[in-house]
Amino acid sequence: MTDQTAPEISNNHANAGYWTRVARDGQKMGFWFVLPTLLLLVFIVVFPLLMQLYLSFTWWTPLEGIPWYQAWEVFNWGENYWYMVTDPRFWGALWRTVLIMIVAVPAQFFLGMALAYLFIDQFPGRKLFYSIMLTPMMIVPAVVGLMFFLLFQGTGPINDHLGLPPEFSCLTDVNRAMISVIIADIWQWTPLMFLILLAGMLGVPSDQLLAARLLGGSNWQNFFKIILPRMKTVIIIALVLRAVECFKIFDLVFIMTNGGPGVQTETISVFLYNQTFGELEWAYVATMGLSILIALSILAMKGLSYMAKK
Amino acid sequence: MALKYFFVLLACAVVLYPLLWMVTMAFKPHPEWTTVAGLTWFPENPTLQNFEFIFFGRAEGLVVSLDRTIVGPLIASLVTSIMGTLVAVVCGTLSSYAVVRFGLAQSLPLSVLQLRLFPPLAVMIPVMVMWSFLGAVDTWWGLSLIYGIVTLPFAFWLMKTFFEEVPVEIEDAARVAGCSYWRVFYRITLPIVKPGLATCALFVFILNWSDYLLALLLTQRDWVTLPVYMATLTSAMGGQMYGMKAALGVIAAIPPVIFGLMIQKHLVRGLTFGALKQ
Repeated sequence: MTDQTAPEISNNHANAGYWTRVARDGQKMGFWFVLPTLLLLVFIVVFPLLMQLYLSFTWWTPLEGIPWYQAWEVFNWGENYWYMVTDPRFWGALWRTVLIMIVAVPAQFFLGMALAYLFIDQFPGRKLFYSIMLTPMMIVPAVVGLMFFLLFQGTGPINDHLGLPPEFSCLTDVNRAMISVIIADIWQWTPLMFLILLAGMLGVPSDQLLAARLLGGSNWQNFFKIILPRMKTVIIIALVLRAVECFKIFDLVFIMTNGGPGVQTETISVFLYNQTFGELEWAYVATMGLSILIALSILAMKGLSYMAKK
Repeated sequence: MALKYFFVLLACAVVLYPLLWMVTMAFKPHPEWTTVAGLTWFPENPTLQNFEFIFFGRAEGLVVSLDRTIVGPLIASLVTSIMGTLVAVVCGTLSSYAVVRFGLAQSLPLSVLQLRLFPPLAVMIPVMVMWSFLGAVDTWWGLSLIYGIVTLPFAFWLMKTFFEEVPVEIEDAARVAGCSYWRVFYRITLPIVKPGLATCALFVFILNWSDYLLALLLTQRDWVTLPVYMATLTSAMGGQMYGMKAALGVIAAIPPVIFGLMIQKHLVRGLTFGALKQ
């Protein structure tokens, strides 16, 4: 770990002067090692944040005819923020994103958990099935969007199974479209949950599990009393990872429904995209982006301090 | 046991069902794309016409033609993914080594991780303004740069765990023998983590290859990548070109699946930023 740094060695070495010099050289090289990453971070975090803060207080759009740095000419005293707070489309998109999150992530979790429990012991063909189970999450999300578009569109097989006419597409009805998107997300990301949770389950000391089995614990008892308590960290990691990624959902929705019908399946990312390229309201998008950034940062800090307390 | 196999097979069937529809679609001729004339799971008249069409812009028996073939986007995807991977892996490897071994920049891991927290679209306005200011929109280096930045957290954390596994005693021994720090890093540590480095590169490549949003925002024509090309493939036939799209989807899906299965053992580590190991 990080505490095994070079200067520590120098303490129990006779030729201390030599080691200090070497350690200093190490620090010097370390500085050059860190530099590119630091520059990239400054480049992508500090500067854009300042620009975003600046633009969010203006009416600026790329059609304005003035470069972005002269955007103070259309300064608007934070009207964008007021507009955002009262924009039903923004809150609708936010609500739908959260909805997808609170339906899809738990579904992925329970399915992943069940699948992981199936794979905990060896059985013939386990390796093959395991590889098959992992494929969905390796497929490009845009391609997954296409796959489910092909399945759910009016003349696709789902309509055929359900006996619905081609004019009645699952993707043009609000509720069905939302369900379709959620199904696609569950299909793609349950394997991730499965993978992480299985790794966690296999990390449970096998002698403890064996002992519990020998003592006559039922499968349910073994699961809830032995496995689950030892997987707490893993479960938290899996849920947080998926929740964060799910909040970003874009590719699936954009390709399957493009936010439609109307704007009724827009998630936050799709909404921001449509505002950027449909309405060209760049300053407004900057406002919303910054607000989301701040909200997520506060949530993340709260979460981190909560976990640190535990 | 029979019950277990039942559930496992059921899960595999659910996984394979959408895949099968797309893959067979890629080999179906036009009339079989939809269920209007009846549902066909396996192409009755298998054809390579869809692939022919996207690679050459025209195909036998089709009156329409394509002004842009898949070749440009394929090259664009390869170039930007590989260059982006290079940026992420080089920066991530160097800085994580400095953090692990020299205890430098202790706040770096978390600030790097923060890059993954936010939806890309929430920060894209300034990035797009900056990119157009730099003339980086629709260039290979502009897209590679942003790919390198967004996948840097994965490369950083993955390499961090690999470096932490290298016993510090080996490096000390080399140092006692008179190796400079650079030499220790280059000749001792790097060869030890070579498998990890390869895993990391493949993993980051998959992530870059899978991107859709960034390419959609930062390219227009010349450097449009495969997923964007797939999504915007216009219908020149009056109908949607399902078969061609499916063929494109199959081509786009193949590399990550192969690479992903290759690094199966390390997927957990990569996806959880090194928090879990298998």
